[in-house]
Order: sequence, then C-alpha cells, then structure tokens
Amino acid sequence: MNDPTQRFDLRPLGIALVSAIALLAAGSLLATRAEVEYRRQAEQQAQVQADILAASVSAALAFDDRPTIREYVDALRANPDIGAAAVYDTAGRPLVTYARKGAPPPPGHLPHLRDHATDGMMQVTSPVAERDTRMGAVYVRTLPEPFSRILGRHSGLGLLLIMSFVLLGVTSRAAAQLQRRARQLTDINARLQVEMVERAKAEEALRQSQKMESLGQLTGGVAHDFNNLLTVIMGGLETIGRHLTKLPANAENARLHRARDMAMHGAERAATLTARLLAFSRRQPLQPQAIDANKLVNGLSELLQRTLGETVTLQIVLGAGLWRTHADPGQLENALLNLGVNARDAMDGGGKLTIETANTALDPAYVDQLPESIAAGQYVLIAVTDTGAGMDSDTIERAFEPFFTTKDVGKGTGLGLSQVYGFVRQSGGIVRIYSELGQGTTVKIYLPRFFGDDEEAVAPRITDPAMMLGDETVLLVEDHDELRAYSGGILRELGYKVHEAADGAQALELLARTPGVVLLFTDVVLPGGMNGRQLADRAREMRPELKVLFTTGYTRNAIVHNGMLDPGVQLITKPFSFDDLAVKLRRVLDDT
Amino acid sequence: MSQRLRTLLLSVLACALALAAGTACAQPLEYAVKAAFLTKFPAFVSWPAGAMRPGDPLRICVVGDNPFGGALELSARGRSVDDHPLEIRQLPLVDRGSGCQVIYAAGSARQSATEALQAVRGEPVLTVTDAAEGSARGMIHFVLFGERVRFHIDTAQAVQGGLAMNSKLLALALSVKR
Repeated sequence: MNDPTQRFDLRPLGIALVSAIALLAAGSLLATRAEVEYRRQAEQQAQVQADILAASVSAALAFDDRPTIREYVDALRANPDIGAAAVYDTAGRPLVTYARKGAPPPPGHLPHLRDHATDGMMQVTSPVAERDTRMGAVYVRTLPEPFSRILGRHSGLGLLLIMSFVLLGVTSRAAAQLQRRARQLTDINARLQVEMVERAKAEEALRQSQKMESLGQLTGGVAHDFNNLLTVIMGGLETIGRHLTKLPANAENARLHRARDMAMHGAERAATLTARLLAFSRRQPLQPQAIDANKLVNGLSELLQRTLGETVTLQIVLGAGLWRTHADPGQLENALLNLGVNARDAMDGGGKLTIETANTALDPAYVDQLPESIAAGQYVLIAVTDTGAGMDSDTIERAFEPFFTTKDVGKGTGLGLSQVYGFVRQSGGIVRIYSELGQGTTVKIYLPRFFGDDEEAVAPRITDPAMMLGDETVLLVEDHDELRAYSGGILRELGYKVHEAADGAQALELLARTPGVVLLFTDVVLPGGMNGRQLADRAREMRPELKVLFTTGYTRNAIVHNGMLDPGVQLITKPFSFDDLAVKLRRVLDDT
Repeated sequence: MSQRLRTLLLSVLACALALAAGTACAQPLEYAVKAAFLTKFPAFVSWPAGAMRPGDPLRICVVGDNPFGGALELSARGRSVDDHPLEIRQLPLVDRGSGCQVIYAAGSARQSATEALQAVRGEPVLTVTDAAEGSARGMIHFVLFGERVRFHIDTAQAVQGGLAMNSKLLALALSVKR
C-alpha cells in the first residue's frame, strides 16, 4: 500500500506552470498579432484617407484653387483620428496644412516616409496625379491612439487571459487538493488494513485463548469430580488390599489379590490422566522450587533413552552457566517425557532427539505478538527437537488442545502436549512449537529465570511404617460423604482420633466444643459459603497453634494463588493414597 | 525641382521685381498660370476613342498670337497624359486637319478666335478661349477672378466634340454651361 511513488506528485503543478506559460505566450502572440493587424489596418485607413484626399484635390491642386483644397482638407476635421494633414505641390511645398489642436503641425516639406508608424502615430503620403500627370502630394497623420483605446482594444483578450489564469489556478488548486485527499485516503486505507490485520490476529489469539480457557474449565471440572471418585475407589482398593494380606494364602485369595492389583493399576492410570487434565487446566497443585534445568535434564536422560528406544539417538546439549528457574520439577520431568514420547512416535524409522538448554531473553516486541500474555524478560529455554514427520500449521494450532491427537485410537490420549502447555503456562512461561512437515519438530519451553534463594530440600520420604502412626486429635472437614468416610478410615487406622464435619460452620462448632484438636484437615472447596481457606483462618483465630492440612484436586480458589502454594501452606492433592496421607500428616504434625 | 518650375518661378520672381519697379508685369504671371493650366487640362478631359493613336503626341496648339512666350513649352516639357506626350504647336490658323487636341484660340488677324472655334466645331478638340483675348468662348474660357486665373466651362460644346470633362474639373469652374 505504501507505494513510494505515491509521495507528493509534482506533475499537476508542472502542468499548471507549463499551461500558464503557454497561455501567456499564446496571449502575447495573439495580442501582438492583433496589434500588428490593427496597425496595418490603421495605416491602411490612413492611406485610404490620404488617397481619397489626393484624388479629391487633384483638380484643385492642378489649378491652384486653394479655397477648394482648404475645403477638402478641412473635411478631414470630421475624422477625430486625423491629427494633421497637408497638401504639397509638385515641388514638395505645403499649399494647405491642417493640424488638430495640440497636435504637431505637418512637416514643412513633403517627407519621404520609410516607417509609417512613429510614436503611435500613423503618417502616410499619397501622390496627387491625374492621368499620369503629377500634381503634388498629400500628407495625412493620425493622432496617437489614446491609452484607454489600446486598453479597450486588448481588454477582451486580457480578460480572457485573466479568466484563464484564474480558472487554471482554481483547477490546479482543486487538483492539488484532490491529490492530497487521495493521498490521505490511501494512508488511511493502509492504516485501516494494518489495523484490520492486527485486529484479525488479536481476535484469533483471543479466540484461541478463550478456547483453551473454556477447555481448561471443562476438563478441570471433570477432572476434579473424577479425582474425588478416584480417591474413594483407590481408598477402597487399598483397604481391600490391606485386609487381603491378612487372609490365608490360597489360590482364591491370590486371584482376589491379582484382581485388586489390576483394579488399583487401572485407578492409578486414571489418576494420571486426571492429573494431566488438571495440568492442562492449570489447576493442578504445583510444588514449585528453584531448579537447575541442566541437572534435571541430565537426571532424566537415562529414563528418556529407555523411553525412546534403540532407534532414536538422544543428544543433550546443555547451556553453560544456565540460570535457575522456578517450577515443579516432577511436572517438568513429566513434560519432557511427554515430549520425548511424542518425538519417538513421530520418528517411526528412528532419528535423533536433541534436548538443548540455554539462557535467553524475550524482548517486548516478541512478547507482544504472542497470543498468550507473558512478561518480557529473562527466560530459561529448554528446546526439544526431533527429526520426525513434523506437523502442518493446522496441527500446530490445535496441538495443545486436550484430547487432540494424531495418533491411532488407543495409542495416545491427546493429553501429553496439553500437560506441557498447562504446566508451562501455570509456571509463568510459554511453550512454542516450530515444525515443518517432513522436517521435524522443535518444541521450545521458556520458563522464567528465578532470582530467589534455594528452598530447603524436600524431606526424605518416611518409609518406616511405625513412624507413620499417630494419636493426635484431627478435625476432618469434607463435604463429599464417601471421601470423608475414606479419609476418616485412614486416619483412624493410623491411630488418630477423628472428628468429622461436612462444612465450615459445623467444623467451627466442633472445634469450639473439642479442646484437644491439633490438626485441621480440610478440603479447599466446601459448601455453605465458607471455603477451606476461610475456615482455616477462622479456626486459627480460635486456636493460633492449630495446624492445617489442605486437600484438593482443584486448587484454584482459596489457598492456591495461580496454582502455586502460598508459603507455609500444607497441601495434599487428591487422589491420595493411604501412605501419602500418613506421611503428609506426620510431616505437618511434626513440623515445628 | 524641375527645370520647368524653376523657370516659372524665375518668371514669377521677375514679375515681382517688375511690380516693385512699378511697371506692368501682370501679363507674364497671368500667362504663366494659364500656360500651367493649359498643360494640365488634358489630364481632366477624355477624348473619344480614335482621336489619338497610342503613343501619338497630344498637341496643344496656340492659334494666332502667342501670349505665353516660352511659358507653355516650359510647362509642357516632360509632361504626358497617359501615353501621349504633350506637344506645343503654334499655328497661324487652324482647321480640321491641323491635328490639334487642344487649341488655345487667341485669335489673330488671319483667323479670329471665333473663326478658329468654328473651324474645329464638332471635332474632338478641346477649345480654350481667354476673356483677356476676346469674347469668343470655347469649351474652357479663362477669366481673371479676384486676381486669380479661373475659368468657365461649356460642356455642351465639349459633348458636340465628343469630349468628356472630369467632374473634378467641373467643380473648379466658375460656371458650367450644360
């Protein structure tokens, strides 16, 4: 649109100038021609006048009849253009002269005229002759033409010229204005087009993010409900398992044991899926900590190589002096494994998988054109590149959508990249896919650089069953009846004294009545207008020393801000196992 | 200035001197003017076709006494009308075969002015008479009018002779007899 040739066009101005000059030249030429023609006519008229006089006075001159000559000469007075006239004899002496008042007298001797026009006057002579007999000559001179008459004579042309100039001026002005308008219009049009393109891009980005957001809410909701159910199922299976071990070992019991194990395995796989769904919906509870991506990638290399198989070469290129980042290491491992699995599936006949790490900076210009909102600044880049089949642009666009898969039915869940996307976004980063069909794919994960101090290393896992028992009084708050029964069962089995409440009001009432409660174990999402966070705050007002353990599959609302634990908040995510809860409880209770 | 005019001027000058001397000199000036007139009349008169052959001289004949001296010859020198050079003849008498286109009939003892006019009546001859010479009247008749030489014209005689007078000439005449 911004054609450089459309800068200010001087052509109309040039045309106007040339037209003006041509007009002036034509006008001058016409005026000169008219003037010459007029002079010629005036001279002719004067000549005719002189000829008439000459013819008239021939006899009078021949016979020296001066009164008659005088009469003829005086007749010229009637012509106001005649300034002077004279009749000369054959010797060139003036016989009769006439000069209008104010005009110079005729010459004292018959002049030989070469130029008939002098000082605007026209002077002519005419011989007086009759049948070859020369009698003398006459002289006639016109008056100089008054300026007003010259002006009058040329006024028409002058007026035309002036009008033409005015017209020319008006039209070139209009043309210039038109040109300016056209240019403005072009500019505006160009701007409009740019704006339209930008708007279309913004709309597309908004649509995409809205789609991801609504998909996230949908999957998050489903996953939350599933988590509750899975917790109950897994709890039931665990209880069955513990009781099975107490039964005598025979074939029937062994069959029961295998069945329980299979059911447990299925439930665990279901739990993994719901975890991924939650990851995509950015509602998974993360345990972020300062991590060194180089260390993490190194630690993962063996597992990755096993996952990739023998046909795929794994190459790891670690950036020197890599910054730390702040993320959930387990989820990051998950993300890299997911990418590894995708890469393996894309490289059917083998290939090479490269994992690179590097420090990088995202500048504002780059950040602005991303559909996701992200701050410009320093990021740790983890790039996973394969030499596989690659993706077309439509596939890239949909790659992060949950349940979108290009794999055969049953081979993929369509949740791998969703987990990567949800986890990276929840960790304050972005993930980009660069791919060409047949050229392979690069997935780049950008995680924000972490400037804070290292956190304490996670306490080692308690493995001694005896250390998992306790006798403290626990207030269990859970609106889901089955889940409350399951959790209560575990707590009692571990030796704890348990008081159960279905909502916040009931829990506070119980807390007021029961003096020995040392731990509040509450779901984050509660009915009755008070959520787990608010309940904990109120309970702490009553018992400042009260310890709190939250549980949720759905951490968005109260205790978790942007999916990250507030410092000091203890959380166990659903679905949790007997061991998970036992260990977590002891850690919370023993933490001073 | 032509030789003729110079001569004329000289005679006029001589006349002026004569006047100063108190002698009668009206005659030379008067006749000088008349001589000039005589040589100019043919320019205002048309002769019938056949009156002159092309290239023939146009003869001005002074019949009888010549009152002009050499003034007439002076005035006629170098002049021509159309292709007819003026020629001055002096004749004691005139008749139809004289070959004159203009006669100045001053009259003499041998042929009076009237007789001379009679001799060329009906012929294409411009007849000029002079009041100073007699009472006979030709087609053009010189008179002195207010100290100036003027003339009367008789077109009737001219028509008889087949001559046509230019109206400009008629306009200058003191009278025109038709």
